Amino acid sequence: MPETAITVPGNEFERWRRGGAATAGLYVSFARLAFLKFLAYRLRYYTGVVSYTVFVAGNYYLFTALFASRPAGEELIGGLTLAQMISYVILSWVGRSFTFNNIDRTLAQQVVQGEIALQLIKPFHVQTVMLSEALGEALFRLLMFTAPILLVVVPLFGLSSPPDPALYGWTVLSFALAFLVNAQLNFLVGCLAFYLKNIIGVIRAKMVIMEFLTGVLVPFTFFPAWFQSAMEWLPFQAISYVPVTVYLGLRTGHDLIISLIVQAAWALGLFVLGRLLWSVSVKHVTLQGG
Amino acid sequence: MEPLIRVENLCKDYQVTRRREGVWGGVVDLVKPRREILRAVDDVSFEIPAGEMVGYIGANGAGKSTTIKMLTGILTPTSGHVSVGGLVPWRDRTHYTRHIGAVFGQRTQLWWDLAVIESFHLLRKIYEVEEGAYRKQLDLFRELLGLDEFLHQPVRKLSLGQRMRCDLAAALLHGPRLLFLDEPTIGLDVVAKESVRVFLREIRDQLGVTVLLTTHDLGDIQQLCRRIVIIDHGKVIFDGEIDELRSRVGDRIKLTIELREAATSASLADVTGTMPVIWRAGDGLVHEVEFSRRDVRSAEVIRAVVNDRPVHDLRIEEQDIEEIVRGIYRRGDAKATDAADEGQEAGDA
Repeated sequence: MPETAITVPGNEFERWRRGGAATAGLYVSFARLAFLKFLAYRLRYYTGVVSYTVFVAGNYYLFTALFASRPAGEELIGGLTLAQMISYVILSWVGRSFTFNNIDRTLAQQVVQGEIALQLIKPFHVQTVMLSEALGEALFRLLMFTAPILLVVVPLFGLSSPPDPALYGWTVLSFALAFLVNAQLNFLVGCLAFYLKNIIGVIRAKMVIMEFLTGVLVPFTFFPAWFQSAMEWLPFQAISYVPVTVYLGLRTGHDLIISLIVQAAWALGLFVLGRLLWSVSVKHVTLQGG
Repeated sequence: MEPLIRVENLCKDYQVTRRREGVWGGVVDLVKPRREILRAVDDVSFEIPAGEMVGYIGANGAGKSTTIKMLTGILTPTSGHVSVGGLVPWRDRTHYTRHIGAVFGQRTQLWWDLAVIESFHLLRKIYEVEEGAYRKQLDLFRELLGLDEFLHQPVRKLSLGQRMRCDLAAALLHGPRLLFLDEPTIGLDVVAKESVRVFLREIRDQLGVTVLLTTHDLGDIQQLCRRIVIIDHGKVIFDGEIDELRSRVGDRIKLTIELREAATSASLADVTGTMPVIWRAGDGLVHEVEFSRRDVRSAEVIRAVVNDRPVHDLRIEEQDIEEIVRGIYRRGDAKATDAADEGQEAGDA
């Protein structure tokens, strides 16, 4: 072997042997550092507690008024009681405060400004790094953002308990999966920056459309049957509608398990899709700005 | 010996959209954009043996950064071949990046919100550097770059010079044998520039790192590299040692002579007789004469003048590398055609 060759035989094997633990450790560090970074900027999130309370209040009064005007003798609107509707509003917004992240914007900015070059000269998977950072952000949000929002909103508007206490556990699991689906989707959208000029506009539009398609704004049960069945085939319901309806007890037994499996499948499927899109995009990469 | 870097017939095309003028042109652009192919790197070939420090220079937009991006695996070329220690950068990118370091002067690879030392720890994990080797490397850089005073500050609070020193350390922590530097002294003051240059000389001599350096600052080149590759409009227009460049361009020398008695330049031209020199027209005490070292020795010119006239003072100015390169850029297009006979010339020498 010539002296100048960079590859050392056996190097790869050795990396496989000790690789797993070392690599996992690296991605844990990225999550930890993201957590610390957001902790340093926590002041920004205090105003967020107020705005989420306002979102919930607005929807609370809207749906209360709607229920007040229902025909005599009708108990349900869109298949929900008023108490369920209020829980729906609270949980979907509180859930959003946890599952939301900005990795689409972060990735897009790195691509547009050419910073992505510095990620590409590192021996790691950019997608996994970004997801680890999103995980760090999610943990920060859970403790410093979602929890305070919950503490303000629940006593203020009244969240009813689920029909079965076991649903607390299933709801937490379902929201964890919702976070994963949302993060994969955001990564995919961020990748579009390799192809689109005005990616920030797309991201802004996506944010608004998502509030509708994930069911945060209005429960799917308010819509015609064809719309509901169309939503069944899209990943967006996994981000909010599924975990919230799990809590309300609208998915029981077999249905519940299937819903969670579908969520997990979306998370995995979108991860694989993200991986593919990433490798195609990197080949196409033409960096702007030097 | 096999060279560490081998670049063969490397080309990179960009597609650019050319905008039409006026409102109507804007509307037409929406429907039918006018696309053109721009060749940023055009048939570039060179080789770099291990341990060498080579300057890669050219004007803005000449294709320097594009070449570096292909060599670091960030960009995939349109055509051509690159082999670095047996690896193809863009194809084996993730594996390849373990063996190289890179500094892009305009950007930082450090984490903006983290203390410098935290970034270094993270890099240690990214590259899976053994604790002992990491300690050794870090201690060396702390000493050579004087990092101690700001090692615990967040990167965003560092001055540009401090940040560059940290970036250099960051690029070398995992002990790469090859370092790419894209304008490492851009925007730095004289003192900071000097400390970067001293450091680069140290790592070349102590660690034997191979370095490919792009820069606009020809001072970097003069102090660090014996060999340079000049690129213009995507093509290599010179590849060789700086001394060779000097002699090829003619190596002009300017001699300033201060006489004790006033004289005209015409009379001085008579003194140098048939020597191929050019006197700047004028009369008085101070005169300037220019010639090429290739044609005539400065000693001969001086002897001729001193023997004939009472001389008060003499000053010899060599053309600096910057002027030489500027000359090369200007001749860039012409170069492509007579490159063949020049190659022969170099071969004969």
